This record gives sequence, structure tokens and C-alpha cells, in this order.
Amino acid sequence: MTLLPEPTVAVMAVDEVGLDAPFNKNEAIVPMWKQRLRIFTHNRLAVVSVGYLVLITAACFLVPILHPTNQTNQAIALAAPWNAPPSFAHWLGTDGSGFDEMGRIFYGGEYSLTLGILAGLITIFVGTLYGMVAGFFGGVVDGIMMRILDAFLSIPYLFLLITLITIYSRSTTFLIIIIGITGWWGNARIIRGDALLIRQLEYAQAATAMGASKWHIIRRHVFPNSISNIVTTGTFAVADAILALSALGFLGLGIQTPQTDWGTMLQNGTANIANGYWWQIYPLAAVFILVIVAINYIGDAMRDAFEVRLLER
Amino acid sequence: MFTYVLRRLVQAFFVLMIVMLITFTLPYFQPGGIVAPAFAVLGVHASAANVHLWAVQNGMDHPFVVRFWKYFVQVFGHFNLGHSYKQNLSVWGIISLYVPRTIWLAASSLVLTIVIAIPLGIFQASRRNSTADYAATGTAFVLYGMPLFLLCMLSLQAFAFKWPHLPASPPNGVSPWAMFTDPVGFILPVACLTLAGVAALSRYMRGTVLEVLVQDYVRTAKAKGCSSRRVLFRHAFRNAMGPIVTILGLYLPGLLGGALIVESVFNYSGLGIQTVNAATNIDIPTVLGITLLVSILTLMGNLIADVMLGVVNPRIRIEGSSR
Repeated sequence: MTLLPEPTVAVMAVDEVGLDAPFNKNEAIVPMWKQRLRIFTHNRLAVVSVGYLVLITAACFLVPILHPTNQTNQAIALAAPWNAPPSFAHWLGTDGSGFDEMGRIFYGGEYSLTLGILAGLITIFVGTLYGMVAGFFGGVVDGIMMRILDAFLSIPYLFLLITLITIYSRSTTFLIIIIGITGWWGNARIIRGDALLIRQLEYAQAATAMGASKWHIIRRHVFPNSISNIVTTGTFAVADAILALSALGFLGLGIQTPQTDWGTMLQNGTANIANGYWWQIYPLAAVFILVIVAINYIGDAMRDAFEVRLLER
Repeated sequence: MFTYVLRRLVQAFFVLMIVMLITFTLPYFQPGGIVAPAFAVLGVHASAANVHLWAVQNGMDHPFVVRFWKYFVQVFGHFNLGHSYKQNLSVWGIISLYVPRTIWLAASSLVLTIVIAIPLGIFQASRRNSTADYAATGTAFVLYGMPLFLLCMLSLQAFAFKWPHLPASPPNGVSPWAMFTDPVGFILPVACLTLAGVAALSRYMRGTVLEVLVQDYVRTAKAKGCSSRRVLFRHAFRNAMGPIVTILGLYLPGLLGGALIVESVFNYSGLGIQTVNAATNIDIPTVLGITLLVSILTLMGNLIADVMLGVVNPRIRIEGSSR
């Protein structure tokens, strides 16, 4: 849930990163991206998170190719033992339809991760555009756009998702689009706050005085200076999209069989919880939770890395 | 003060109209137009003539603008949410049974969330980067990363079946008063919803209090010799209240979405289950009615919070419109 940017207390971060060392004029100025990378890598948890995410993503997309397991042919799967406990043939057992559980975790991960990233990108794009236009133009435009946003923000998005998916389509493409365009409201609000603040700062006003066009100011001043919040809220949007998909999976509205996603798999696994089929729940739950947590840690570290106040000048 | 409340009320009404326009428009362009709901109501073997007749009876032969205007007058002029396509009941008749139940679940969880999350945030902020702070953040992250239905299922399995100390389902009588008959039944659902809420909010709370703690007036208060407890509660907390209320207002839709999941897992018939059923049956008036009502609840929650903040904090009262 993207609500508001978590305020950063620059003072403490400077202490932690050790950037408060006296500035040495003889030292070459470190390029900005290197400084950002340094701040990012200083956060050990974030580095571990990146490693974990890379590992999981690679596994999701490579393991089904390198070690193919049957994940789509239900006829063959039904002949295999169902709900079988872990064995050498099936490292994490099989699920209720006889699909190999470990292969299915990677297979479902392809869908969950792809959807999360694509929906997150839609969220970033729409939210940033909407927030920037509202914040930059201000006045009546801002007033109207913000009331519309208030309206969106007061509709519980899960209700909206359920309605739209059942009425229109259950295809994966529609899921991506609909999760993307119901996720940008919080982002837009944050970006709008940034734009509202930046447009009245001296450098933006100076640019206006020098005759820069509005588009130029948005592109060269407002956008680069709100990049911190754009990147951070965008990162959280990916996690939120994956979580939203899992909630839909629970309601049976996720990716439709024989394809699957993590939410649908967890739902199928928990349906068997009373039978003690632990291998259908806990390994996947651990992978899933860690993915969300990792994305959140990365988002936090990104916020620090893009915080201009922490950079050397 | 009066003008502030009035302005907020007018604003809320406009927002409500936009909500209505959005919720009315979005399902409007369904594939197959009127045919999908007509088949859902009349059955898949309905003849073309019957489908047409049904469409005329439900005013579906009018253009979009006319239909929206009729719906608008119907809702705000006659306080009538329409008639369900699927059940032979008015939408209000369906909803009124479940509104109190969902409000009861969501409100009790919201109160508990506030009671836990705010002190936790203050505690974490005042002991920043201590072991306790890291432990709380880590727990919150894990709970936040866990899909709510998984949390519900695991706690259900643990506390209702493995160590059967708690009932698996809240009371489910037809009467709205049935929900008060067995308070113990609410422990699990409310606890799950609360845990998810605390997990989602605690780091915003921590961040907000941290932000306030570095302000000049806090330093001044410390410098003049206030005890740290007094600084925390008199100076920091009171000023953090504004952002906290904003965050809580933004959390309300998430809370109702969470209530939907919790209702489904614990089989507690409320607005959430009704929405899922109505949407599956393409019962559009019911879906519209519920969405509108839930949005009104959210708007009202925000309005009450804003007005109360305005009463407490004169700065907000005056700056109100710029927010």
C-alpha cells in the first residue's frame, strides 16, 4: 500500500553513510551515480535483497528451461501422484493436480513477477504524469484533478478490481492493465506534492524568468528533482501489484489455470491446510514473503540513494 | 470553524459525485453491452425478444448520459440504489443487512490498529535503530509481505483447529444484532485484520514521528528542560497527529479491501462477500450500490477525521483548503 513517502531524516543517514567527512578540494568529484551506488550498497539489507531478487527472478525464468517439468498438461499431471510429499523425484512434492510443486513455484513466479513489474511500470508512468501535471499547473487544474484523485482514493481498489475483472475479462493482459491503473493514485498524490513544491523553488522560477517553456521546466527541473519519490513509490508499486494479484488469486480471479501465479498457488495450498500438506504452503510462502520484503528494502535504500541532500556537491 | 466544515462538506459532495460517475462508467462498457447482464438474469437460453424487453424495462435503451442522470436522481433524489438484477430485492434491502456487519468488523479493527500502531511508532522512533526497533520493523515487514488470506488461514488453522481455543467463524445470524451474540468469534478475524493494518501503517507512523523529532520546537522543548516523555507526548506526538490522520484516511480503502478478504476466509457474510457474489452474477446495480456506499463510508471517515483535527489544531482550520 503506497500511502505517503516515509519522511527521511537526512541527518542520521549522513552519519551512517559517513559522508560528513571534510570536503577535500584535491579529490576528484565522484560522479553522481557512483555516490548513489555507494549509499545504496552501504545498506547491507538492500544488497542482500537485490541478490535474492536476482536469484529468484533468474530461477523463475531459467529453471523451467533448464529443468523442464510438466506444468500445463493436466492430463499427464493427473496421472502422477497427487499431493505427494517431497521425494527425490519431486523435491517439494506435488500439488493437488499432480504438478511438481517446485517447478510450479518458478512457473507461477514468472507470472507474478512479470505482472508485478509491468503493472508497476504502468503505475509509475500514469501516476507520475498525473501528479506532475496537477502539481505543476496548480490552481483550478490542480483542484479538479485532485478532487478526481480523492474520488479514486475513496473507492476501495479491491472492490473495483473484482468488479472490473469479473465483468470484462480474466486474461493476463487485462489483469496487468487493471492492476496497473488501479495502483497509481497514491503515487500521483506524492508526485503532485513534489511538483507543487519544486515549481516554486528558485531554480524553477529562474528558468521561467529566462523564458523556458512549461514542458522544459517539467522535463529538466521538476522531473529530475522528484525522481527520488518516483523511483521509491514505483518500487513499492511493484510489491503492491504482486500482493494485489495474490489477493485476486485467493478469490479465484488471478491468472487462470493451467497457468498460475503465487497467489492462486497459495490459495490452493491453504485449501489443503487441514490435511497437513505443508509443502504446498510454506516453501512458497517463504519465497513470496521474502520477495515482497526484499522489494521494500530495496525501495527504502533507493530513497536514501536518491536523496539529493545526501550527495556530495 | 463553521465555514471550514461547510467547505469540507461541499468538497466531499463533489468527490462523491465523481465517485458515482467513475463507478457508473467503468462497468458500462462491458463486452456484449446489455446482453451479458440480461443473460445473467434471464438465463443463457433467453430469446432475443426477451433480452430486448428486459433491456427496455431496465432503461438500458437510453444513451449513457440519460442513464447516468436517471441513476443520479434516483440515488440523490429518492435515496434509492435501484433493484438487484439477480435477487428479487432492492439493492438497499440487500446491503442494509450487511453494512452494520462490515462496519463492526472494520471499525473494531481500525480502533485496535490505531491503539497499537501509534504507540508502536512512537516507541520505535524514540528508540531508533535499537534491537527492538529492528525487531518491530522486521516483524511488520514479514506481516506486510504476507498475503492477508494466508495470515488468516494460518491463524485459523493454528487457533481454531490445531489448538482449538477460538471459534473458527464469527456469528452469522440474519439479524444485524446477531453479531453481538458471540464476541469471542470476532477475536481471530479482528486480530488478523488488525495485524495487517499495524504492519502496513507502523513504518509510516515511525517515519512521521521521526520527522517531527528533528524539528526546532522539539529541540527547544528539550533545551528548556522538558522530560523526554513530555517532549515525546506533548510536543512530538501532537504535531505528528496531522500526518497520522492523513495516513489513516488513506488507509481506509485498504482496510475495507482487507475486510473483504477476512470476510471470505472466516465466512462472515458482509459487504465483501456480497460484492464478490454480485460481481460474479453481473448484478450491476448491487455492485454499484455497494461500491458507492463503501466510498461514502471512506469519505465520511476522512471528513470526520479532518473536522476533528480542525477542532484540535487551529493551523489546519485556516490552511484547510491548501491541503
